[in-house]
Amino acid sequence: MNYKILDVWHLTKSYDERIVLDDLSFHVNQGEIFGLLGPNGAGKTTVIRIILDIIRADQGEIVIFGGQFDEDFKSKIGYLPEERGLYQKMTVLECLKYFAQLKNIKRPEVQIDFWLDRINLFNCKNKKIGELSKGMQQKIQLITAFIHNPELLILDEPFSGLDPINAKVVKDILFDLANAGKTIILSTHQMDQVERMCDRILMINHGRSVLYGSLDEIKSNYREPLVIEYEGDLGYIKGVDSINDYGKYAELVLEENADPQEILKTLIYTVKIKKFEMRAPSLNDIFIGVVENAEV
Amino acid sequence: MQKFKSLIVAKREFLATVKTKGFIFSLILPFLIILVVVLSMGSIPQIISQTPQNIGFVDETGMMGEVRNLIRFSDMEGAKNALLENEINSFFVVSEDYIETGKISIYSRDGLLGSPPTDSIEAFLIENLIRESNLDETFKDRIKDPANEEIITLNEKGDVEEKSGVGFIIPYVLGILLMMVLMTSSGYLMQGIVAEKENRTIEILLSSISTNQLLTGKILGFGSAGLLQVLIWTCSGALMLFLTPYSSLFQGIELSWILIVAIPYFILGYLLFAASMACVAAPAGTMRDAQQGASIFTMFAVLPMILLSFITRAPNSIIAKALSYIPYTSPVTMLVRIAIVEVPAYELLASLLILSISVIVMIRFSAKIFRAGILMHGTNIKLKDVFRYLRE
Repeated sequence: MNYKILDVWHLTKSYDERIVLDDLSFHVNQGEIFGLLGPNGAGKTTVIRIILDIIRADQGEIVIFGGQFDEDFKSKIGYLPEERGLYQKMTVLECLKYFAQLKNIKRPEVQIDFWLDRINLFNCKNKKIGELSKGMQQKIQLITAFIHNPELLILDEPFSGLDPINAKVVKDILFDLANAGKTIILSTHQMDQVERMCDRILMINHGRSVLYGSLDEIKSNYREPLVIEYEGDLGYIKGVDSINDYGKYAELVLEENADPQEILKTLIYTVKIKKFEMRAPSLNDIFIGVVENAEV
Repeated sequence: MQKFKSLIVAKREFLATVKTKGFIFSLILPFLIILVVVLSMGSIPQIISQTPQNIGFVDETGMMGEVRNLIRFSDMEGAKNALLENEINSFFVVSEDYIETGKISIYSRDGLLGSPPTDSIEAFLIENLIRESNLDETFKDRIKDPANEEIITLNEKGDVEEKSGVGFIIPYVLGILLMMVLMTSSGYLMQGIVAEKENRTIEILLSSISTNQLLTGKILGFGSAGLLQVLIWTCSGALMLFLTPYSSLFQGIELSWILIVAIPYFILGYLLFAASMACVAAPAGTMRDAQQGASIFTMFAVLPMILLSFITRAPNSIIAKALSYIPYTSPVTMLVRIAIVEVPAYELLASLLILSISVIVMIRFSAKIFRAGILMHGTNIKLKDVFRYLRE
């Protein structure tokens, strides 16, 4: 049984007349990488801010670390907001020290050295933040989320603005943290990253949950029709729900538990197969499909 | 541990403020101004004022025997030439029919710098007029100096108030100092809040500390910076004053009592202004928006200074009393009044009580507005929103 590090119940929030979150429920298991997805303006940042008690929900309940939110929990959580910024006039060391102290780390020098080394910015320790490039600043900001060795990491668009090399450095760090048992909530609209990294996802659109569960489950629910090119007569095929037949080309919608392997075996005996294509939709396709359907 | 977080914030804000060029410059600026004034004191008056040495006169009546350092010219031509040659700055003509008309014509070149030397001329004329009269010496002295004023203030019972003398300087100094502390510290606070919104650090901070801790830390940090600034000004100002001959003027003034009362007024006054500024700064997107909103509080702070001459002249008037109860104006007004008159203890306590309650209400109010407004960008906070935040 997985321990739920975060359990969100029926969250509702509106600004003026505009509903930002609409009866949103989900949970995050300890040790997993959880993807929080959705188009811009879907309400991802609002969810995160409510989890962190930065803003309050109109309705709903959040159980975190097994209880109600407590100020002390903030030192168990690492947060990288989407809107980023650091004190431009402070040095890297001063700035990291300040944020670490606010997370109850009294002598953070060792951790600062470790992380600066890890992101290849050790030589920038005494430089002013304002002198660093944007990408470097973003990596420094990531350290502010890791420095206090938090149990739960909430990262809002951690890869945006990073070049592929730095994106890889960050991805490796995240996997190491996950392997060390940390729970990571990854809020993003970059589907390829999520697809490769996340165990479970929640996709929200207009503040409502539109997809929720493990990636495998979701993908199997969003199977695309089986496409075949053939010669012969198709007839009845066991495990196929409906057939859109064009004579030499057909789209087969499979029954829920049908095994494509068995269907291929059946087809080999009845017709001459020229093409057999079973395409699992990418998360990106599902994302676009869900968002577009919602807007129709 | 949670409480220390406010102190960590306070420490950072304090250090970040005192290290800025603006802060260091503001420490030096008053002394630069004083230095310039002191250095120029020696030369400027000679240029502007018409000392008797460079005023000439032409006497057409023939009765002006007493010269009094003025330069006598026998005729207009001589006086005109001296003026054109820059030997004198101006001259006046006592016309023949002066006794009947009192007519005096003052001549100068290219207009007079500063005001015409009427005092010197009048003193010269009075001297000569009484010399011609048969009055006795004391009477003559009285005509020369008719009013040797002493100002006496009565309190409510009709008793004479003891305080007088140079006491009038103290309220000005105290009022200005207190106003400066209030304005500079809360100004720094406002800048600090807006800067954090602009550089987008606010969200990281709020994931580590609560809005109340952040606000408390900021109020403490910027307050200390403002206090340091004014302390340095006051101490150096006092030091300079004691090195001048004017130091004896301040002896005998009950500074200690005023200072004891000044402390709670300073602290409460600062908290009130800081909390108010935080309310304005939190929802503002830019420093300009914040300053616009803050101008109403600035006006409140400046009001007693505008009315200062009125308050010093009538410290027990209804307006002065009312201003010493209104929270935003009470710190400066009350200090000024205490320096001039004996303010009854109940008035002092009532004023402090009102101020304390306002501070408590305002801090709660501002913590809520701060929480709601700090993450807003580019939207103006509406009055109906304010009521909603207060209910939350």
